[in-house]
Amino acid sequence: MLEEAQGVVAQISGEDIAAAARYLAAGLCMGIGAIGPGIGQGIAAAHALDGIARQPEMEGALFRTMIIGQAVAESTGIYSLVVAIVLLFVV
Amino acid sequence: MLDHLGEKLIARVSIGDFVVRFDLITIIMSWIVIAILVGLAFYLRRGLRQNIEEKPNRIQAVLDALIDVLQEQLLSNFISTSLARRMFPFISTLFLFVLVSNWLSVIPYLQSPTQNLNVTASLALLVFFTSHLLALRRKGGRRFLKGFIEPYPFMLPINLVSELAKPVSHGFRLFGNIFGGTLLITVVSAMIPLVLPVGLTIFFGLFIGLIQAFVFAVLAVAYINLAVES
Repeated sequence: MLEEAQGVVAQISGEDIAAAARYLAAGLCMGIGAIGPGIGQGIAAAHALDGIARQPEMEGALFRTMIIGQAVAESTGIYSLVVAIVLLFVV
Repeated sequence: MLDHLGEKLIARVSIGDFVVRFDLITIIMSWIVIAILVGLAFYLRRGLRQNIEEKPNRIQAVLDALIDVLQEQLLSNFISTSLARRMFPFISTLFLFVLVSNWLSVIPYLQSPTQNLNVTASLALLVFFTSHLLALRRKGGRRFLKGFIEPYPFMLPINLVSELAKPVSHGFRLFGNIFGGTLLITVVSAMIPLVLPVGLTIFFGLFIGLIQAFVFAVLAVAYINLAVES
């Protein structure tokens, strides 16, 4: 039985471990990287809603500014997406 | 199942020792976008030949509405009306090109040109050079260079990095959104080939495409504003 286990261990090459680490890293990168933009966009949307509730006639301008702010807040999430894509397909 | 992912049709043109590589699919799709925009422009222009006193026909009304929306949404962000008037063709063309590019992926067998980083990066560089050349012409060389050492001279590296980070994030944002959406649709279609990909395509292709085209144009306006006024 020990010999069998040793055979299995011998079959796992360094490339397999590197591939496993890549997939794990891509998942972690996307998961942790999405926390910040999620919170940031939520805060932006919440305050825009506050503003619209207070002054409904300003809805157009508030919505536009909210979208821009959210798009800027999203860029760190996009960076982590790019890093994850590079990890999965390029490295 | 997903082995075809990342396959590209690359054309190589060698000039002496220097090899230039072209992504043929992206180039063809960009030309399709250009053909759609130019064709629409020529087609819609025929509806405009009439007196001002006449009642506007349908094409005229649609174009008026389009120009109104673009002016209201994009131009109201400019710091001055003269700048807005001057940059309106550039910004609205940028918006329409990115919008049609993003929406192209809804049609089967067609790809968005914007899911290639080279396209979005070149558009972002276009905005970068436009904003700085405009700032150079408006402010003159001395004041333009002085803008980089404000508020203190030792802030120069920070200012340079923040200027250079703008086109990078501008290009990556559009690329990441469109490419991420396409990738998600491809992976989900391979797992669940029924119904769900249709909704995802509509959401990512039409909704996110519109939002991102708008964001790209508005950020271009914001960068030009920042470069010109600061």
